[in-house]
Amino acid sequence: MTEFFKKLAGIDRRIIYLTVFLATAIPILTKKTMKIEPLPEVKKAYEYIESLPESSIVMVSIDYDAASMPELQPMLETFLHHAFRKNLKVIMLGHWALGLPLGQQALEDIAKKYNKIYGIDYVFLGYRPGVAAVIINMGKDIKSVFSSDYKYTPIDSLPIMRSVKNYKDIKLLFGLEAGAVGDAWIQYGYARYNLPIILGTTAVMTPDYYPYIQANQVISVIGGLRGAADYETLVEIPGQASIGMLAQSVIHLVIIAFIIIGNIGFLVLRRAKK
Amino acid sequence: MKKEIPLAITFISGFLLVLALFIPHKPFGNLEEIFNDWYIIVSGFTMLLGIDSLLEYNFKKIRRKEKDAPYSLVLILSFFITLIWGVTEIVRTPEHNPFSPTSTFSKYFYNSIFMPLQSTMFAILSFFIASAAYRAFRAKEFNSALLLVSAVIVMLGRIPLGQGAAPYVITVIFLVFAWYFYAESVGITETGTKLLYILVSVAFIALIYPIGWVYLKQHIPSFADWIMNVPQMAGKRGIMIGIALGGIAMSIRIILGIERTYMK
Repeated sequence: MTEFFKKLAGIDRRIIYLTVFLATAIPILTKKTMKIEPLPEVKKAYEYIESLPESSIVMVSIDYDAASMPELQPMLETFLHHAFRKNLKVIMLGHWALGLPLGQQALEDIAKKYNKIYGIDYVFLGYRPGVAAVIINMGKDIKSVFSSDYKYTPIDSLPIMRSVKNYKDIKLLFGLEAGAVGDAWIQYGYARYNLPIILGTTAVMTPDYYPYIQANQVISVIGGLRGAADYETLVEIPGQASIGMLAQSVIHLVIIAFIIIGNIGFLVLRRAKK
Repeated sequence: MKKEIPLAITFISGFLLVLALFIPHKPFGNLEEIFNDWYIIVSGFTMLLGIDSLLEYNFKKIRRKEKDAPYSLVLILSFFITLIWGVTEIVRTPEHNPFSPTSTFSKYFYNSIFMPLQSTMFAILSFFIASAAYRAFRAKEFNSALLLVSAVIVMLGRIPLGQGAAPYVITVIFLVFAWYFYAESVGITETGTKLLYILVSVAFIALIYPIGWVYLKQHIPSFADWIMNVPQMAGKRGIMIGIALGGIAMSIRIILGIERTYMK
């Protein structure tokens, strides 16, 4: 009997890996979506974007790369659908050089679907090194940091940028965060210039941003794949995040089952030792 | 002089930036902007430094014929192929951009090689996290049991299947705890303590229905929210305030030249 509980307390990691693989792959392959009740934080973010008047200028910051793509790319795509559907004007830039093509490709693809014109309805500024310095200087004058867009077109010649000097002209910053850039946006963008911020974060980063929500330093945070799926539900464009919810549900239950099994083995063995 | 000049630069820069924040008028007012511009330029050049260091390290490995030298060769080849092709695309494409619609190779390289590789590296984490959760979440004492239960509730509260699964999961967990306390009570001779253990065991069984099947079945998402919004946030805020105070103290030490490790 003790042998059985020893096995429960020390399951071979290869069995865990195989179970995790199957519990993730099978639900994703079925491509089934689930009914979700959106989290209050996501509803708050959605309602804020909904309340923005037509032609408002929003800024999107790409602060992630392919590693965080499964969580953050659906958020970006849903936001772009939401923004273009509402005829908001989008300025995109980023602080993670390796992630910028993800933003650029999504922006171009989705803008095309809504017949939006580059330079009038949206612009892609690209990357400048220096994170905090870039954020601070843009608060004074965006042109002092980005004198041209990623195609080397002077931004003065782009109609969308003619009415934009600094953060006073930006109605929202939508930051997609896989690291600490979100903190810099809040500490410099919000604290110094009152820039309204909504952050889309990876699940592992989300708890870090909760204190900012309570302190009203960000409007809200869309956290992880669940947040992305909630946002897709609210915008009524089910995508990759909604498909991923079944896999996430199953894998959470599998991990909980492993934790319980491990504890049963552990507690029985501890009793036996006594 | 080797030490004094960097110390003086640090002191003057730090002092002027603090001054600029409190005196937003000329000549101090626009100092921050100027310093930030310099910082952006210097940041750009640090990339060259990084490339130099990366290449030197990997070339050394190849020269010494170390065990993992083939990986270094792959890295160096990938670096130069990407660089040369990137520059070619900048010159070749009308937009002068390696990611413009006409730059086929860069797009192919990014979408078909870089993106899957980086995603795969990160996806592997899920296996390690599952294995680590299984090994780390053990109810060794009261605190770890509390952490375990909170983690399970948050995991259940954040998934659509959570509400349906919560009663069953809570039933199993509470039954395990009830059994454990009862089993512990068997060996105890002191009547008071024995009774306490039995009472705790009975309490776990009695709480299965009201907590698992009535409260959590309906309210597990809001209970998970409460865990995130109250105890989690309180801990997080404490850590953040601690980090901020530490950051201020360290900045003062650096500006005043007490902390000099950055020069090593």
